[in-house]
Amino acid sequence: MHSCNLDVEICKLSKIEGHADLDIKIRDGKLKEVDLKVMENVRFFNQAVVGMQYSAVPQLVSRICGTCSIAHLTACIEAVEKTLDIVPSRQTVTLRKLTTYSMMIRDHALHLYFFVMPDILGIDSLLDVPEDKHDLIHDALAVKEAGNNLSELVAGRAVHAPYEQVGGFSHEIDEEKIPAAVEGLKKIRPTVLKLIDEFSKCDWEFRRKTNFVALTTDDFSFLEGKIKSTSGMEIEEKDYWDHLHKVVLPYSQATSFDFEGHEYMVGSLARMNLNRESLHANTKRDAEKYLAKFPSDNVYDNNLAQAIEILHAIDHTIEILENTRFQKEEAAKPGRLTGSNAGAIEAPRGTLYYALEIEEGKVKSMKLVIPTAQNLVNMKKNVEQIVSGFCALDSTKEELEKNIVREVSKLIRAYDPCMSCASHFLRVRWK
Amino acid sequence: MTENEKKRVGIFSLTCDEGCGIFLTEIFNRKLVEWLEKIELVYFLAIKDHVEIENLDVALVEGVVTSERDKALIEKIRANTKILIAMGTCAITALPSGQRNNFNINQLKEIEGHLEKYKFLPKALSVKEAVKVDDEIMGCPIDREKFINTFEKYI
Repeated sequence: MHSCNLDVEICKLSKIEGHADLDIKIRDGKLKEVDLKVMENVRFFNQAVVGMQYSAVPQLVSRICGTCSIAHLTACIEAVEKTLDIVPSRQTVTLRKLTTYSMMIRDHALHLYFFVMPDILGIDSLLDVPEDKHDLIHDALAVKEAGNNLSELVAGRAVHAPYEQVGGFSHEIDEEKIPAAVEGLKKIRPTVLKLIDEFSKCDWEFRRKTNFVALTTDDFSFLEGKIKSTSGMEIEEKDYWDHLHKVVLPYSQATSFDFEGHEYMVGSLARMNLNRESLHANTKRDAEKYLAKFPSDNVYDNNLAQAIEILHAIDHTIEILENTRFQKEEAAKPGRLTGSNAGAIEAPRGTLYYALEIEEGKVKSMKLVIPTAQNLVNMKKNVEQIVSGFCALDSTKEELEKNIVREVSKLIRAYDPCMSCASHFLRVRWK
Repeated sequence: MTENEKKRVGIFSLTCDEGCGIFLTEIFNRKLVEWLEKIELVYFLAIKDHVEIENLDVALVEGVVTSERDKALIEKIRANTKILIAMGTCAITALPSGQRNNFNINQLKEIEGHLEKYKFLPKALSVKEAVKVDDEIMGCPIDREKFINTFEKYI
């Protein structure tokens, strides 16, 4: 233990989505303060939607986030439909599941291969892998491409998918292209099993008691169900807001939340802890030994959970595509044009909630709860524990700084934070 | 091609959803391995930590210039690159990320405190309005074929 004052500054943490700052002050060898600041410039979507026609809003809010645009699109559509009594057809629901799976495959693959894998290999970027590990780049691109192709087939595009709309899909799925999509998914399945095995062998560990919250669905399809917590709560999607309290983060262009008065974690790890029984039978069969790790309170198991979710997305998609005849359908129509209601789905990074007030077809107000924003308090407390732990060790100031920077970046990355959503790159500044 | 002859490419996100950058990683699925024969990625925070903004051959820039910080960054990029390509409708037209430019008085009142606190510019600017741009690729996000055709002209 030493009694130094330490001011460290890392600008723009890389390999996450968006910008944020983290200020850490160490005084007399003890942690004084951790300030987690989302520095993404706000683009004022809450204000921009006011007065807009309901049908145009989902495509606009899709622009909140490039990587999980499909999540914003889908959650907002659900909120519009519940508000205006629009009942989507069974086929529409199936197509939404496929669209969501396509996002999970490519979004989780980007995080695991491009953001996390370099930390495991001790390199800066996946592009820097030594010659004998070049297969990893090919694997990464192949898995992403299978997800991307599925997005194109079902929803028109992976980013800002044009076909998914209020009441239904504007284009039918081209059945002739289904066999190739299934073939593509079957081809990457062994690659994904290899990825799962890789992450199961990762010995990184960080534990701190917390509450996990997720929307649980009976087929693990991320869309419709009950919100549950490991603390034993079970609530309806529309009531989620009533259980949350806003937490203001000083100097940050985002706010966070607590759930029932306590910090909590949302995302793949929460879903795996609360809902793994609902995974696809083929996933459960082939990932059995890895699933034995859950429930887990090791934050780094969020990476393993994401890899298992890719497998599930592949398995359920194959089953749907091989057993469904798709037909042309008209979009479902609204039962009314005025009302207020909410919808929630599981986005790649956790529960995403949209609440809308609509009057005569025009949006009067919109409230949203973003996954990364919900994780910020938990993330901050984890960082405090890590820094305090290093402060207690007998190390030089340089070692202390190096250890903190390395471990804190790694931990924050495990959350797969998206600052574009929480309001975008993490800049870490230490004072 | 030796490392020294490779074009130095930077990919930058100003204020936006990073959708063009993310879509670019999807275009990479089929093109990256081939391009890496000709380019060195020296700035792309989405996939690497060690980045530099100097002596660039091509800078691809998405997003709008909404704050003083954005303005300082785009001016630095311009001063350090031979070719600057505006990527996506935000960089070309300032929309949708600069949607505050079209707000009415009530909407503006709600956001004025935030604009001041975080040193936003009076108006969000497209990259084209902020600095000289050498080429542009439309789309929200960018169109795959247009991106490939334009980018390959410069590498």
